[in-house]
Amino acid sequence: MELIRNFPCLSILLSMFSAILSSALKGRGARRLNTFVVTAVGALSACTLYFTHVTGQSYVYVMGHFPAPFGNEIRFGSLEAGMALFFCVIMLLSLNGGRKKLAMDIDPSKENLYYIMVDLLLSSLLALVYTNDLFTAYVFVEINTIAACGLIMIMESGRAIEAAMRYMIMSLLGSGLFLIGLCMLYDMTGHLLMSNIGSSVRMIAENGTYVIPLLVTIALMVVGLAIKSALFPFHAWLPDAYGYSTVSSAAMLSSLVSKGYIFLLIKIIYRVIGFDIFVNSRIINVLFVFGLAGMIMGSTSAIRENDIRRMISYSSVAQIGYIYMGFGLGTSAGMVASVFHILAHAATKSLLFISGVGLTDVSGDHKEFIELTGSAYRNVCAGLAFTVGSLSMVGIPLFSGFISKLLFSQAAVQSQLKMLPALIVLAVSTVLNAIYFMKTVIRIYTPVTSKYESTSMKKNVLYAATLFCFVALNVGLGMCSQPITDWITQGLSVFA
Amino acid sequence: MEHFLLLPVCFPILAGVMLLLKKEFRTRNALLVYVGTVLSLTGAFACYAVFGIKEGLTLFYLTEEFPIVFRLDLLGRYFSLALTIVWVLAGFFSFDYMAHEKKEKRYFGFYLIVFGVLLGLDFSGNLITMYLFYELMTLTSLPLVLHAQTKEAIMAGLRYLFFSFAGAYMALFGVYVICRYGTTLSFTAGGVIPPAVLEEHRTLFLAASMLMLIGFGVKAGMFPLHAWLPTAHPVAPGPASAVLSGIIVKGGVLAVIRVVYQMIGVDFLRGTWVQTTWMTLALLTVFLGSLLAFREPLLKKRLAYSTVSQLSYILFGLSVMQTEAFAGALLHVGAHAFIKVALFLCAAAIICRTGCKRVDELRGIGRGMPILLWCYTIVSLGLIGIPPLSGFLSKWHLAVGALSAGIPVFSWLGPVVLLVSALLTAGYLLPITMQGFFPGEGYDASRFAGKEPSRLMLLPLLIFAALTVILGCLPNALTDAFEAFAAQIM
Amino acid sequence: MNAFWLFLVVLIPCVGGVVTPLIRWKKRIYCMLYLESLVIFNSILVWLLLVFRPQEAFTLVNFTGNLAIAFQLDGLGTIFAGLVSFLWPFATLYAFEYMTKEKHERTFFMFYTATYGVTLGIALADNFLTMYCFYELLTLVTLPLVMHTLTREAILASRKYLYYSIGGAAFAFIGMIFVITYGETSEFILGGVLDAAKLGGGKNLFLFIYVLSFFGFGVKAAICPLNSWLPEAGVAPTPVTALLHAVAVVKSGAFAIMRLTFYCFGAEFLRGTWAQHLLLLVILFTIVYGCSMALRETHLKRRLAFSTISNLSYILFGVALMTPLGLVGALSHMVFHAFMKISSFFCAGAIMHQTDRHYIHQLDGMARKMPKVFAIFTLSSFALMGAPGLCGFISKWNLASAAIESGGLLSYFGVAALLLSALLTAMYMLNIVIRAYFPKTDFDFSSIADVKDPNWMMLLPLFVFAVGIVGFGLGSAPVTALFTAVAQGSF
Repeated sequence: MELIRNFPCLSILLSMFSAILSSALKGRGARRLNTFVVTAVGALSACTLYFTHVTGQSYVYVMGHFPAPFGNEIRFGSLEAGMALFFCVIMLLSLNGGRKKLAMDIDPSKENLYYIMVDLLLSSLLALVYTNDLFTAYVFVEINTIAACGLIMIMESGRAIEAAMRYMIMSLLGSGLFLIGLCMLYDMTGHLLMSNIGSSVRMIAENGTYVIPLLVTIALMVVGLAIKSALFPFHAWLPDAYGYSTVSSAAMLSSLVSKGYIFLLIKIIYRVIGFDIFVNSRIINVLFVFGLAGMIMGSTSAIRENDIRRMISYSSVAQIGYIYMGFGLGTSAGMVASVFHILAHAATKSLLFISGVGLTDVSGDHKEFIELTGSAYRNVCAGLAFTVGSLSMVGIPLFSGFISKLLFSQAAVQSQLKMLPALIVLAVSTVLNAIYFMKTVIRIYTPVTSKYESTSMKKNVLYAATLFCFVALNVGLGMCSQPITDWITQGLSVFA
Repeated sequence: MEHFLLLPVCFPILAGVMLLLKKEFRTRNALLVYVGTVLSLTGAFACYAVFGIKEGLTLFYLTEEFPIVFRLDLLGRYFSLALTIVWVLAGFFSFDYMAHEKKEKRYFGFYLIVFGVLLGLDFSGNLITMYLFYELMTLTSLPLVLHAQTKEAIMAGLRYLFFSFAGAYMALFGVYVICRYGTTLSFTAGGVIPPAVLEEHRTLFLAASMLMLIGFGVKAGMFPLHAWLPTAHPVAPGPASAVLSGIIVKGGVLAVIRVVYQMIGVDFLRGTWVQTTWMTLALLTVFLGSLLAFREPLLKKRLAYSTVSQLSYILFGLSVMQTEAFAGALLHVGAHAFIKVALFLCAAAIICRTGCKRVDELRGIGRGMPILLWCYTIVSLGLIGIPPLSGFLSKWHLAVGALSAGIPVFSWLGPVVLLVSALLTAGYLLPITMQGFFPGEGYDASRFAGKEPSRLMLLPLLIFAALTVILGCLPNALTDAFEAFAAQIM
Repeated sequence: MNAFWLFLVVLIPCVGGVVTPLIRWKKRIYCMLYLESLVIFNSILVWLLLVFRPQEAFTLVNFTGNLAIAFQLDGLGTIFAGLVSFLWPFATLYAFEYMTKEKHERTFFMFYTATYGVTLGIALADNFLTMYCFYELLTLVTLPLVMHTLTREAILASRKYLYYSIGGAAFAFIGMIFVITYGETSEFILGGVLDAAKLGGGKNLFLFIYVLSFFGFGVKAAICPLNSWLPEAGVAPTPVTALLHAVAVVKSGAFAIMRLTFYCFGAEFLRGTWAQHLLLLVILFTIVYGCSMALRETHLKRRLAFSTISNLSYILFGVALMTPLGLVGALSHMVFHAFMKISSFFCAGAIMHQTDRHYIHQLDGMARKMPKVFAIFTLSSFALMGAPGLCGFISKWNLASAAIESGGLLSYFGVAALLLSALLTAMYMLNIVIRAYFPKTDFDFSSIADVKDPNWMMLLPLFVFAVGIVGFGLGSAPVTALFTAVAQGSF
């Protein structure tokens, strides 16, 4: 069992070294290595999850030989391990689903570069998930940003580069704010390890000193991460970045990168600032309001969109709004709902991106709706998968989206003041989601005599299998949510 | 024995339905024989039921509380007797008249059905049964209005439908209320609602009564919902408009009596705003109807307006809520039935023989059709109220009743309006007689020569004229019975 | 019978429907035989269940916490399930004949049969969550049916249908969350499950939530101003319009509202509050509005659809009275209106099938050529306007007496609205009847020379429904007794 304690660290190192190794490999080798690494990390995380779930505790793993407060630590409980596993699964599926498209989109000589970036992304995500050191977190945030920029830029089209620049600037702004917050915390507490900062912050709060600096710090860190995870109104970079990159990148960016930051934020809330202090600060009201606004504005922008990829991207803005709304409720039930929604949204959004590309492929690479008419008949699997994804986003029972909606509203009912706004915005947002997603579904099922060729499942078994896995994941989250919510609750309880 | 009551109701309905479903008869005579037989048999059955059957019949339960009941009381007997006489005679009149029209089979089919339905209405022993037949009456008589299938007829039919249902549904509100609070649904002298309940829900009951009065009053052409009558009655084929105007409108009167006297009870209504409104409306209609009739150039339409006016005589008599006026109203029911049918049949005969529809075309008609015009004159005089004809007596009782009721203003206003209206009646009916017999110097009446209708058409007219005289001369038995009945239910 | 059968009757049509297009049928008739026997078999099962009622509930899966997908059979469910399972075999029979002129038959029957299962799911749901799930599913399985013709019009109509339904469900969802959170249990119990202790003082909030979810479910029951999807959904093939948009779908909305009002929030809690008054006002408006719009409409199916809107609000009126008698009225109108409206829609469908005429002004003189269809159409018209002796009269009677029983100005206005609506109904239905039976004198019969009555597959359902209309009208006592027992919770 002791061996398993090494797994988190091992998986971070594994993915980092594979990135280095990949630079020496050719495209196909890098791809295979990457697949192996992601699978291996997934397996390691699964073991860790099993271990932590059985023991029900969280563990600290000291890096090197410097004990706290000077050394660097990894801390993992069942929530972290599960999240790592989930990220691996989504990453594997997204890469498989977009593989064919990737070959078309990028120059073959750049293929190994792409997988280097993916490996780096994985390692930084794992680090964000596992680390117990705030500064390490900052470092990996930056690595993450660079990797993500690379993933966006890899297409080398003008728009992709522009989008990457935009993403870069916004992200750096976010990391800058985060860094300032980090410095201020270090000033106030003299620690960099999260648990240590956390106990100091609690003392500061009890003593009543540094009230305003603490508030500013919280605000800075939250806003920094909110910018990076595209909370409304800081979402301007998102549609371009997701819309003009290759599909695997879009899927990973939306379901992993932004979720990594959100996960870090949760960690900060629980471990660094302390949940009660966070709840008592007025920041959560701001988050709540921006969350609600994001839910509505994201969807209305999506309705106006005429490009399927950008529509799905805007829908991400709305979904991120849901997550922050859950934070803003300031209850542990809201947190559980938000974490669940991280999973549900990751599973659904990458499904939508991947199936969307199947539809555009059989429509002459056009992303406009008018060209997509009837595409579900030309690519049956993608059509079905897109329908499932849409239904899940709308929140139809049996799919994952319904459960998160259920959890959100159950959490909302517990809060007297925020109940009505939350519930009504949830309902309105459901309607808006229905409008753009179901419009698309109806559109792709409207038959026309089309000039485009159709494709069958047999031609691309991997793609079909990926979609199937995504759908299964979605339905699984929707039907068997009880163990998952139990797991989240348990994980959050050992988080701080 | 009480099951015999079903026979006069169901037999004509079934016969009519069969007639409608049947293929065309090979000869017209076969059709006439069929219809004639059914009419006579039904007449016989109805007469037997009216005079022979004492018991009531509870047929079955529509819902748990509401049975379908047939029972004949004096009112029912009287109405059904008048109905039977008129219907059979007008039916025979149709035999010749309908030779000029198309789709006779359909006409006679519905004619028979409505006969059965009306008998059902008269036989009904409780509110639900009455309402059932009341609605059926509207629906089944609609094809008679529509018969000509011209645009005008169809518009008139729709209007008839609209007003009738508007009335029926207004009344239905009251029915709901009564059923909710009433102790029983059977017609009971003095009402079925306990006085305590009446007082408790006073406003509700007053509103419901008013709605029922106006609602059922629609069929009787009471202002303000009278507008359908002058449109719908004239477009029907002659005999049909006769029975519509003479008999079917009486369905409304019957319903009003049943509801006011036997469901809610006059004691509750007497002296309330409902009674005042009712009297006002009735008098207004009496006057307005006569006035409009006076100005109307088309003969059938003039007669229809006259119906509006005359029916409100009856309603006024009822609204006074006094025994003698009540008896007068009932007398007027019979008198008006015979007279108005006769008048319409005269008009039908004239139209059928000469094609003249306007009053001013009838100058000199007496030269060619003397018997017809004599019949017309007799019944006209009856309607105006010249003694010793039937109309006089009923109006007399009405006026006396009103005067002795002691209601402020209306006690004298009523008789005055009735009198004025009688003058107007004379004014719109008698010019035809005068100009018919005395067309004036140099008027060529030869186009009417030899146009006297057939005997089959004249015979009903003669009978009606005779009835008018008889009712006027020998009214005592009826009057006494009515007054006794009125005293019993008030 | 074992409670497991409750799940089976929901499952059988769903699975049986879904496999239909997967099998290679040699002849059309085999497919039809298969479907018809499937549906009849299922209906027999349902009726057996209704007679030998399982007492316990059957839990399929647990969602989260204490939320489960579970089935059970209580009085209200009995009525809805019985109604649906009676109508479905006949409607399927009718659809076989009707669909000969349409394309993509098998896809159609796949969804048509699956809808049967989903509707039963709503009827047999044990708790709010289950009902909600099937309610959403109902939208989804009926969507392809509305879209069926795939014309531009159909696509637009189906979009609207979808947006409205999902939007409605989203608001109903709020109600569900409240019932789950503040209820003692989320199962349906007559009299309501709200936990007085948890309620605290925020009664107005709960009423507001109730109103929200009432309107949410009210979308399917086409309450004004959320009704405009219904007339447009009439582009669907007539079996769909008749069975789904006059019975299954719209009555599911009404059924859900009954559950919400009587079995979740509890009538006691709601009676006499501003919520009740507000709803009554809206319902009364809808009753009159639906009729007036029907009167203006010249398209036959759309006119019937508007009539449905008005009639659905009759049902809701009964519910909104929030008394047991009101529930009796609502239930009776739910059942009786199903019979009346399905037969008038089937007549309209028969006319469209035989002559391809859709507008009322094209129906001149048709009664002579299609006597059987028009006889039944006339009968259903009379029933709809509430002529005594037919079933419409009874349900209106029950509603009105409930209103008068409950007293209050709005209730009296309700009776007035019912009567006004009856009058308008008479006008818009009889207008058609008159036109068909009494064409203008100059009408040229040669233009409809080759029109004739449809074959037995269409006539048999019509005939059965006509018998139902008369039968319920004349002998309603046992049915009303059943409704009363249900409303008092003694069944």
